[in-house]
Amino acid sequence: MILGLDVGGTQTDAVLLEGGKVVRTTKTPTGDDLLETLGTAIEKTLESVDPPAITRMSFSTTLATNAIVQDRLEDTGMIVTAGPGMRPEWWEVGPSYHVVRGCLDHQGFEALSLDRQAVSQAASSISGLGISTVGVVGKFSVRNPVHELQIAGMTKDRFSHIALGHRVSGLLNFPRRINTTYLNAALYRTHRGFVDALNQTLDAACLRAPRYLLKPDGGTIELNRSCDNPAHAAQSGPAASVIGALALEKCSGTTVILDVGGTTTDMAVVVEGMPFLETLGIRLGPYRTLIRSLLTHSVGIGGDSEVRHGQNGDLRIGPLRIGRPCAFGGPRPTPTDAMICLGLLNAGDKGLSFKAMESLGAPLGLGVKEVSGLVLEKMADMIALSAGAFIHELNSRPVYTIHEVLHRESIEPSSCVVIGGPALQVAPYLQKAFGIPCRVPAHFEAANAIGAAVARVTAEVTLQADTHRGTAIIPELGMEKKIDGRFNVESAVSMAMEALRSFACEGNGEESNEVSVSERHVFHMIRGYSRTGQNIRVKMCVTPGIIREWRRL
Amino acid sequence: MIKAKRNTGLVFFPAYDWAISPTHPEREERLLYTQDQVMEEGLLDVDGIVEYKVRPASYEDIRRVHFCVPDEEAVTTQSHLIAAGGCLVAADAVLKGEVESAFALVRPPGHHAMRVVHGNRGFCNINIEAVMIEYLRERYGVNRVAVVDTDCHHGDGTQDIYWHDPETLFISIHQDGRTLYPGSGFPDESGGPNAQGATVNIPLPPRTGEEGFLFTLNELVMPLLERFKPDMVINSAGQDNHFNDPITNMNFSAGGYATLNAILKPDIAVLEGGYAVESALPYVNVGIIMAMAGIDTSNVKEPNYDMDYRPQPPDTTRYIEKLVKELQGLFLEDKLKRTAYRAGEIIERRRDIFYDTDMISERQHENIRICGECAGAFSIDSSSSRRRRIFAVHIPRKACSACSAVGRAWFDSAARSGSFDHLFLQDRSAGTYERI
Repeated sequence: MILGLDVGGTQTDAVLLEGGKVVRTTKTPTGDDLLETLGTAIEKTLESVDPPAITRMSFSTTLATNAIVQDRLEDTGMIVTAGPGMRPEWWEVGPSYHVVRGCLDHQGFEALSLDRQAVSQAASSISGLGISTVGVVGKFSVRNPVHELQIAGMTKDRFSHIALGHRVSGLLNFPRRINTTYLNAALYRTHRGFVDALNQTLDAACLRAPRYLLKPDGGTIELNRSCDNPAHAAQSGPAASVIGALALEKCSGTTVILDVGGTTTDMAVVVEGMPFLETLGIRLGPYRTLIRSLLTHSVGIGGDSEVRHGQNGDLRIGPLRIGRPCAFGGPRPTPTDAMICLGLLNAGDKGLSFKAMESLGAPLGLGVKEVSGLVLEKMADMIALSAGAFIHELNSRPVYTIHEVLHRESIEPSSCVVIGGPALQVAPYLQKAFGIPCRVPAHFEAANAIGAAVARVTAEVTLQADTHRGTAIIPELGMEKKIDGRFNVESAVSMAMEALRSFACEGNGEESNEVSVSERHVFHMIRGYSRTGQNIRVKMCVTPGIIREWRRL
Repeated sequence: MIKAKRNTGLVFFPAYDWAISPTHPEREERLLYTQDQVMEEGLLDVDGIVEYKVRPASYEDIRRVHFCVPDEEAVTTQSHLIAAGGCLVAADAVLKGEVESAFALVRPPGHHAMRVVHGNRGFCNINIEAVMIEYLRERYGVNRVAVVDTDCHHGDGTQDIYWHDPETLFISIHQDGRTLYPGSGFPDESGGPNAQGATVNIPLPPRTGEEGFLFTLNELVMPLLERFKPDMVINSAGQDNHFNDPITNMNFSAGGYATLNAILKPDIAVLEGGYAVESALPYVNVGIIMAMAGIDTSNVKEPNYDMDYRPQPPDTTRYIEKLVKELQGLFLEDKLKRTAYRAGEIIERRRDIFYDTDMISERQHENIRICGECAGAFSIDSSSSRRRRIFAVHIPRKACSACSAVGRAWFDSAARSGSFDHLFLQDRSAGTYERI
């Protein structure tokens, strides 16, 4: 059996799956203590289950997100090398940020050696503040980590934890590398503490199956390994829902996944089962990062959104949620009240809903049923409009080759999958607004926890080889190898494949057939008019998807 | 977070799947390292810098500018259409008011492509700036345009296309033609009989450095623009004046290009040449983007600047000061000798044009009608070493009725003569384009 948990802002969903079927779903209010919430939810979900029967456990938590939003990051020093371009002082982050001299060019050649004295001074000034965690980041360190490694070597005795920039991602973006490294360092101790405590809780309950955390890219990472890059497990909630929808409903063609919640509706676009990813990475609070993430879009309309009159006598829905629906004693009418009045939902105090919708309809000369219908139509229209803008943005993404300009087809959704609390009630309205079939899968209300449970391990590697310089490097894994002139793109692909397999394998090796090469470029390096070498770039990833155990059934 | 002082559009199209030939300077990775640098700097995350997706230009966009022999399809590839289309995207972004200025970082370049196109000249097939300018005029009613070409090579194609247009001021700053391809671009090339003084060539000597370029810009180019009062300023932003460039002899720098751009403040910049793909382009392009967005560029510098940048020699400085003074006299103090022509008179011009990339020789015989009311109709009788002879008529925007009539009459009589493989009519005034 597989256990999946998704900790949300107000509610924690859990599922127990067996043989491709949902055995049990539970809901637990999310408390202030994350571990306690998890403990309660696990206990509730596993009641009368024999612990050894659990074969996989996977969690989507709000730990990192909350630490960032509530500004509970550990004081962290930063040592940065940059060189020419945008001024590195512009990317200052944390209480003790130091730029030291040293420069690598875009191919990783050292243009200016590291100022070791400045490194020592920076380290002294950081530890002088009583700070024991640092992030070390160099511009173009993914092309050559030499300066980061030198700094780490020089300062490792002074700090208890050092996070290195080249390990966060193979992508080029210095300011985001700084932010991501900072977060990895500043979240480290909190995350480590959580992982240790969770391990203890699970051990105590005799739950010894492999443990995973969900990441925002819709994949999982082994729990202990997540400590290497703690920020990479932040904000996985939207991904949980998307993967859940994929697990519950066959998404062929182009599908819009709509997760209708209380305050917002989150959406994602999936083409032939593959969700779109953010170009660079997720934004966590004020920090733009290089953390791979599914591309999701959120609009401030949900079942509990406030409905009010606009200035032109029309209805306005959201983006605020003032409180609970009137049926539950809330102050303002909501779409949920409209559903109750139309007999679509049997919940709360119907009388209160009727009263609220009556006073909403009266100024417009509309009865309760009419105005309730109007509210839901309007809600669906606004969601469809927002989805249209989202899809337009996807279609406007730049492309860099002639082939893509001429052959990349534009995205046109052929159906929607609707999940979340009010999915059943709003789906018919959404179908009308979108003009395409809108399906609601079974277990739509627990899709997020199911997504967390069945998401497979993902990883990506970026290999850059320069046969002129004689090196091949995979920064994410801290791998750097000498190569000779015979090294070619095929050697690069197999080197990256091997590295990816050893990292992302879930034990039975099944993930390997899901590896996709997302970039494969060979450029001839030419001096004057003759070739001096090849610049080879290969990017490979295990794409987000569902573990085989669930898919088989 | 850094915010742009001026919202800036960026159209980036490196054409990673196109080259003239495998070892030609105009090849796949020309913008690879530029993209690396732009991405690593995080420029696309800057609030106010917006990246746009390219689209291909249409043959109709090209017909407003060129006479393509035998037709557009034969002399362009998809890559040329997309590079030109990238400029149109930049133009749309600015004219729709989405951004204040835009930079089309596209390839292949275009400023050596002339009005008649038999093939590729100086790595160029179609003139992407001119295609954009005529689109701006057609679509948005832009009238007066100034092109400031800062490529190291004389922008002979753009000069040719606007030779007869008094409403396009073409200024080219380049390495002296006696020392570099295409060997033209001297001060006495100052515009056709109906557009005298609307072409300004500034041939700078080899080894011109930052101070020489900026001196020329401040003392000559900026006053020329002030005087011309263009609706829009376009910068043909070639980057081969750079001290690291392998095929030129100038001493400009990334910081210098950035300063130039900050002073010039072009509405749209278009990448032209520049072949130091690893050691100059990444820094120059970052500098230009930052300058356009109004971001401090004082830290933009090549890693080898301190070691390899050569300050401008004093004799070069003296030469430039003298040259600028002469040009100020000609173009700012009206000392340019203007020939007085009689309205209705037909002026002839004969010349030979060489297409270095495609090894084609072209012979042209041009007739233009002198006109006081419009830019004047002209015809071109062109034959190439590929044994094709064409006859082409251009009727300008806002043509007077006499010029329209004369142009059409030329076309009709040439059609009757039967001596041409193809006939072209480019009636910008009526918006009709014919090819027989």
